[in-house]
Amino acid sequence: MNRRTLLKSSTAAALLAMTLAGPVTSAFAADDPVKVGILIPQSGPGGLFGPSSKNSAELAVEEINAGGGILGRMVEPFYADVGGPPSDAIQAALKLWKGEKVDAFIGMHDSAVRGALDNLFKGQVPYIYTPVYEGGECADGVYVLGETPAQQLEPVIPWMAENKGASKWYLIGNDYNWPRDTNAAAKTYIEASGGTVVGEEYLPFTADNFDSNLAKIKDSGADAVLVTLVGGASVGFNRAFASFGLSDDVTRLGTLIEENTLAGIGAENSKNLFSSAGYFANIDTEPAKKFAEAYKAKFGDDAPVLNSLGESVYDGLLLLKAIADKAGSLDVAAMEKAAEGVSYSGPRGEATLEQRHTTKDIYLAEANGADFTVVETFSNVGAGDNCQ
Amino acid sequence: MELVALQGLNFVYISLTLALVALGLAVVFGLLGVMNMAHGEFVMLGAYSVLVVQNAGLPLLAALPLALAVCAAVGWLLEYFVIRHLYRRPFDTLLATWGLAILMREIVEAVFGRDYKSVNQSLPGTVEVFGAVYPAYRVVLMALMVAFFAGLFLWYRRSNTGARIKAMVSNPALATAVGVNTAVLARGAFIFGVCMAGLAGVALAPLVRVEPYMGIDYLLSSFFILVVGGLGSLVGLLVGSTVIGGSDAIVSAITSKTGGYMTVLVISILFLWLRPNGIVARD
Repeated sequence: MNRRTLLKSSTAAALLAMTLAGPVTSAFAADDPVKVGILIPQSGPGGLFGPSSKNSAELAVEEINAGGGILGRMVEPFYADVGGPPSDAIQAALKLWKGEKVDAFIGMHDSAVRGALDNLFKGQVPYIYTPVYEGGECADGVYVLGETPAQQLEPVIPWMAENKGASKWYLIGNDYNWPRDTNAAAKTYIEASGGTVVGEEYLPFTADNFDSNLAKIKDSGADAVLVTLVGGASVGFNRAFASFGLSDDVTRLGTLIEENTLAGIGAENSKNLFSSAGYFANIDTEPAKKFAEAYKAKFGDDAPVLNSLGESVYDGLLLLKAIADKAGSLDVAAMEKAAEGVSYSGPRGEATLEQRHTTKDIYLAEANGADFTVVETFSNVGAGDNCQ
Repeated sequence: MELVALQGLNFVYISLTLALVALGLAVVFGLLGVMNMAHGEFVMLGAYSVLVVQNAGLPLLAALPLALAVCAAVGWLLEYFVIRHLYRRPFDTLLATWGLAILMREIVEAVFGRDYKSVNQSLPGTVEVFGAVYPAYRVVLMALMVAFFAGLFLWYRRSNTGARIKAMVSNPALATAVGVNTAVLARGAFIFGVCMAGLAGVALAPLVRVEPYMGIDYLLSSFFILVVGGLGSLVGLLVGSTVIGGSDAIVSAITSKTGGYMTVLVISILFLWLRPNGIVARD
């Protein structure tokens, strides 16, 4: 036996030993880690939220482990990039699920990827979906943390009508299902608040000039604009909006204007700009402050800015722990029985699981330069009916 | 009436800014035949120059020399080490500059971060033009752009450099034979082209989003303009920008933004198909 074959055969033997040992130890040792697949965008348009999502996940894992883990077992995170198309996301998730044998998934990505993952998981592995989305998810084993249009708008639109005199609304968004579903919900609340919709328009993702839209908004006589443009489009639109002097008389409300987007919009363009979400970096409550301080202590002053999307991954791990601990298992069947009514407490406040969605506090913030200030907190807002 | 004035101003504004953005590509692609996929990244360098100047507490105008210096230096490096070996190999320049574009984005992301940056307007507020309320900065920018293009047009027509460039473009071998140093001229044209992209970035930075991936928007619209306008002439560039910007502005105003964008695509496809040399073919 020469050196090469010795190497080969000993490697093979070691591999064999590992594969044989694997199931044996996991069957006996209760202190095997809980493996959690964390699916976040680390490339593509959502890549902006990758670093804050990952930091939030790391912080959650550290804190959960310091408190005894999930089901008494330490949590071990496995990260995968789902910033690309659904087909790539499926491959990445499959690698963690079948390759690393993860016990549960946390996902912070778009709905196209969520739909693909639903079809892949088919209720065989618990999956917590964390970002703001259009509502309607009702599959077995899927628990949703993000804000739905009902949550973000039902209490907020009457507030805008009462406090800002918003009665003539112009709805503008990017052309895909989240803005369209959000606006469909918005119309009901606008009518209920005594207002009217004076215009509605959807822009392709390629749009980088908003002049014609601003002319229409001006011509429509709108006194409020609901912005469901996302990312760079929202930045460009809001900057142009203010440069035309529209921000002096017209109030803007966004349901996905988080801290990064506001930084891009800029302090001089943020007059009369409101945002509705389940989390802002400077919510003035004890749990939120404690979280922000821990984040700063762990990742430094130059860490990626906290925002509702990144922070949702932290809450995702808290929710997973809450359901699993109540069910006494990470098995989907057991978790399904236990899930309804599970509650947990995090930076966003108290939240309770109802129909797979969280009933929780919603914050309305007004831009104050390049920062948000929470102007109103709506307690225990339900996510609406999502299982039809 | 006010709405018509507003839409009219928008029409002029978009046509002029598109022409400014596409000018650099028109020079590099139209004169040298180099498909510069990193064109938008030079626009980005210009925009980040404004950010650097703003963070240092200097006035916006200080961004002009900075952007020109940065773009000229990067442009010189690219031309010397990569582009000059690839002249007359359009597909190779396309691949090489696409790779360079990715590299430039990654470097800017590493230095400034992935997040959106906001550049202040040095001229905030609005003015009334023909009854329409219009951003003051845009009005000044439009006047400057008209003056700039008029000056460029006259210079290119009358100067010796203009004549030498025309000679190099129409017959490089003959131009070399009569004593035109085409290597230096080509390098100069490339550097001029990328500097114009940087200039456009400086001008637009207060109005648009600033982030490492912003360049892609400008590359695409610039190609549409060259497809429609034709290569190698300033008139073609202005005609192309007016057709692309104008049809987008008009159709978007009447129907929707999606309609406007579709019109731009249809026009570009029709030109590629039926009139590949564009409206103003090279003389």
